[in-house]
Amino acid sequence: MERGSNYPNGGDASAAAVPVKTTLSIVQERFKADETVHLIFEAYQIKGQEHIEGLLALVSSASGGTYAIISFSLLRNPLTASNDLKINKVFPINASFKLTTDSKAPKTEQFDLCTDDDRPTKYYYYSMRTDPAAVDFNEFCAKVNSCKKTMWDAELPSEAALNFRWLDDYREIGEVKHELKKRESEYIIYKDIIVYCATWNVNNKPCWDNKNTLRPWLASGKKAPDIYAIGLQELENTARAMLNGNQMQMFATQWVRKMLENLHDDMEYEELQSVRLSGIMLTIFVRKNLRQHIVRCRVNSVARGVFNTLGNKGGVAVSFQLNEASICFVNSHLAAHMGNVAERNDDYKAIDDYMRFEENGLQVRTINDHDHIFWLGDLNYRIQEPNGQQRPGPMSDAQTFELMLQYDQLRTEMSYERCFKGYTEGEIKFAPTYKYDVGTDTYDTGEKQRAPAYCDRVLWKGKLIEQLEYNGVMEIRESDHKPVYAIFRVKIKTRDDDKYRKVLAEVLKAVDKRENDSQPQITTDRLNIEFGVVRFNEPAIRDFNVSNDCPQNVDFEFKVKDSHNDICEKWLHVDPRGDSLMIDSARSIRVRALVDANSVTGLLKMICTAVDKCVLDILILHVRSGRDIFITVTGEYQPSCFGLSMETLCRTERPIGEYTLDEVKQLMLDVTPGYRVPMPREYFLLIDYLHNQRGQLFQSYDRRQPLSSQFNAVRDWLDSWSNDPFPGTPQTAAEALLLLLDLPEQALLEPFVDDLLASRSKVDAERYIDLLSDPKRNVFKHLCLFLCDGVERGDYDANNVATIFGRILLRSSKCNVTIDYHSRCNEFMQRFIRIESPDTLSGGNGHGGASLQT
Amino acid sequence: MAKKTYDLLFKLLLIGDSGVGKTCILFRFSDDAFTSTFISTIGIDFKIKTVELRGKKIKLQIWDTAGQERFHTITTSYYRGAMGIMLVYDITNEKSFENIVKWLRNIDEHANEDVEKMILGNKCDMSDKRVVSKERGEAIAREHSIRFMETSAKANINIERAFCELAEAILDKTSGRESSENPERVVIDRGNSDKATSYSKCCA
Repeated sequence: MERGSNYPNGGDASAAAVPVKTTLSIVQERFKADETVHLIFEAYQIKGQEHIEGLLALVSSASGGTYAIISFSLLRNPLTASNDLKINKVFPINASFKLTTDSKAPKTEQFDLCTDDDRPTKYYYYSMRTDPAAVDFNEFCAKVNSCKKTMWDAELPSEAALNFRWLDDYREIGEVKHELKKRESEYIIYKDIIVYCATWNVNNKPCWDNKNTLRPWLASGKKAPDIYAIGLQELENTARAMLNGNQMQMFATQWVRKMLENLHDDMEYEELQSVRLSGIMLTIFVRKNLRQHIVRCRVNSVARGVFNTLGNKGGVAVSFQLNEASICFVNSHLAAHMGNVAERNDDYKAIDDYMRFEENGLQVRTINDHDHIFWLGDLNYRIQEPNGQQRPGPMSDAQTFELMLQYDQLRTEMSYERCFKGYTEGEIKFAPTYKYDVGTDTYDTGEKQRAPAYCDRVLWKGKLIEQLEYNGVMEIRESDHKPVYAIFRVKIKTRDDDKYRKVLAEVLKAVDKRENDSQPQITTDRLNIEFGVVRFNEPAIRDFNVSNDCPQNVDFEFKVKDSHNDICEKWLHVDPRGDSLMIDSARSIRVRALVDANSVTGLLKMICTAVDKCVLDILILHVRSGRDIFITVTGEYQPSCFGLSMETLCRTERPIGEYTLDEVKQLMLDVTPGYRVPMPREYFLLIDYLHNQRGQLFQSYDRRQPLSSQFNAVRDWLDSWSNDPFPGTPQTAAEALLLLLDLPEQALLEPFVDDLLASRSKVDAERYIDLLSDPKRNVFKHLCLFLCDGVERGDYDANNVATIFGRILLRSSKCNVTIDYHSRCNEFMQRFIRIESPDTLSGGNGHGGASLQT
Repeated sequence: MAKKTYDLLFKLLLIGDSGVGKTCILFRFSDDAFTSTFISTIGIDFKIKTVELRGKKIKLQIWDTAGQERFHTITTSYYRGAMGIMLVYDITNEKSFENIVKWLRNIDEHANEDVEKMILGNKCDMSDKRVVSKERGEAIAREHSIRFMETSAKANINIERAFCELAEAILDKTSGRESSENPERVVIDRGNSDKATSYSKCCA
């Protein structure tokens, strides 16, 4: 597996000397500076017939304090550059992260990665590594699991400290960003702007004297600048002023006004932002019509000096974005005195380390996170003058300055990279800016005779910056420092909006298309499950297939419908209710239809209201993260007397079995009292048969019990008004009678169940019985006669049949059934089946049953 | 942690009689393509399309519903959660226009109260077969205070505009609530709210 030997020039000795990048280092290039790739693992995915070669990288972020696995597919294998890596998934290693192997098949060389907001993704691996930089599976698992353990199994660190925001750049929005970045050249143009940096240690001199112009300092250069960054130091540091915030602020405001008055004449400016730390102030002025292009303007400061808090030393900074470029200005006043080089370096480092700008609510952006950085101020570095050197006069020539600058501490420190790493300073062709007798151009003649030095400097860092001027201003003499300014031409990254919009639209379209195309899909071999004729109490089965022909694993399930809290109607059963399908796999789904005692009422009700009487149900086949497919289940229910009301049965003119479903629907919807018979023949036939049987036929009743094997023969006998002998046993007849009474939507004694339960006597109850519809009343009276007869004969136990029939005839759909409901049902029925007053019964008989017997 | 791949996600729904062109409208919008073969949608399909409105990337998740009558009771269960509904009729089909009233009633019964609605009179390229005048479409929209547009998925008329207008209407509605409900959301910063300086740091 030695890769080098595969190269065409593998034998050439010189080729071996060229360092070949390891895969790990290529992957690392794909990440930001504070993100570390800990290991890579070779894993592939299977899409259709295709093996997609990939890499998993375990990455951590210092800023986020978290780990994640980034899944790449390889656009080229072996890798040659980070461009060959395409991110296809991101797995934050959060509390819900899981790496699972199939415990039933541990040797299959596959595993799943999963976090809570997504379903598992399957990966496969080879037992042999091909890349020496990659780890093997055991090591991969061990490392990943230990990362998760340290992060999440221990006591949770504070939420604020840990975040996965860094991953956003690698997720889908990252994909858009990434694409846009790749095509940057198509819409990015560079616009020149002039940046004017100025710094002055004002030595506590207020600016009240309006006669004094600052123009030599602030309005040099031919072209009017676009941006001014003006830093002042020692604005006012007398103890009195420092303790009085208002007074300090007043000084600051006066200075800002004064500076604004002295900017370049050719342009109108406005103050963008000022930031002040004690006597250190930085003010940004911008050209008026530039303001609208500036966003995310932030300020901050880092205090140094006494106890690092007083802020007589330290730095202030302003950060903002102009078009597509981020710009940062820093004004600092570092530690003073010749010998304090290390302190100055420390001050610089502290400002560089601790200066942060807010982004998305977090103080995250550092000075170095900007495209263009300008650092100005009284940096206080001195001339480390060798003893006996001649002090230059103010009019000394450039040569002298150059000589002095050899001993400039800042240059020395920078050359050793002890401060301002990566910064540049322009050539200094002006006199040292410190220390002068105030009001003169004469170097310090005071007691201390301080050596002249270039305390006041302007440095820059970043690309596309060109310094145009760098100068000290001798003619401003109010301070013991001379002011300094530097003018730059900066090429600002700018979006051509029209071109950008076009590229963005294309990128979004491509990304959307990818998402739409990768939608999980399954197909079914039928959208219609046809059951044909469906009969009461006769189960039927149909199978259909679902298959996954999209390039990823798919989960599906039948959706629970709001209307009935289940995936299907009661007369259907679907198995399985959901499953996962691997790529290119299929499975069958079984649908079972059974119209039985528990479902017939619901089905009849649906048939009455449905647009299409043959639609038994519509199943919703839901693909996780994908579409829903409606599967229509059809079948024609063969009507039977079971489930139909007494009224409907009294409207038939021929056996119910000869009716079409449509005709039955019409019968069910008919509400006129035009009955063809006083009571349904089906009841009469059953009771007539039972009347001639002996023995305890009504022992118990439970609707949920399976029906006896002869039941369907009895059903057909009843549905055809057959003249054949009864096809079942007396027990089957009893079962059928109870079912006939129990199945209709309305109980026999509705709508008077409550009144009847409340009635105190038979006479009282009969007032309501008389109000029942003719079919119901007749069935009731005929039934009572029959039961009474049976009790009288001693075949039936009065208490027993009263309980069984009472509960059926008086079943109530209402919830407010009284506590003594069962005893009341029994009591009510007993009144009608015990022989107390034969007169009443014979009257009832004459009304209904008797006429049928003729 | 929320998986944020866009600034805002709007869920839209396409409803209307079978054959009025809901799927074609969606196909035109998402894939910029048209096919004249009619394949009845048996279920609920969706496509996503990201648009940029007022500097925000808005991901539209558009649900295309089966128009056949037997599916109506099922499709109404998808109304809830939709932030915008496109109600489509066919200008060459009188019945589909008359049913608009029925669909509107459906929306009232099943959709969120503040759902944004828009009526689309599709197939406006077929002027020779037109039976519903634009004025009638406008009138019914006015009557119910709903936006209205005539579209053609085939000729690509007003499709993009219709979706963007509906999305914009939702954006108008949500942008007011957004800042208070979801303070984490990135709001384009114009820089004028951060005048706060670090004055407090001096003289500790």
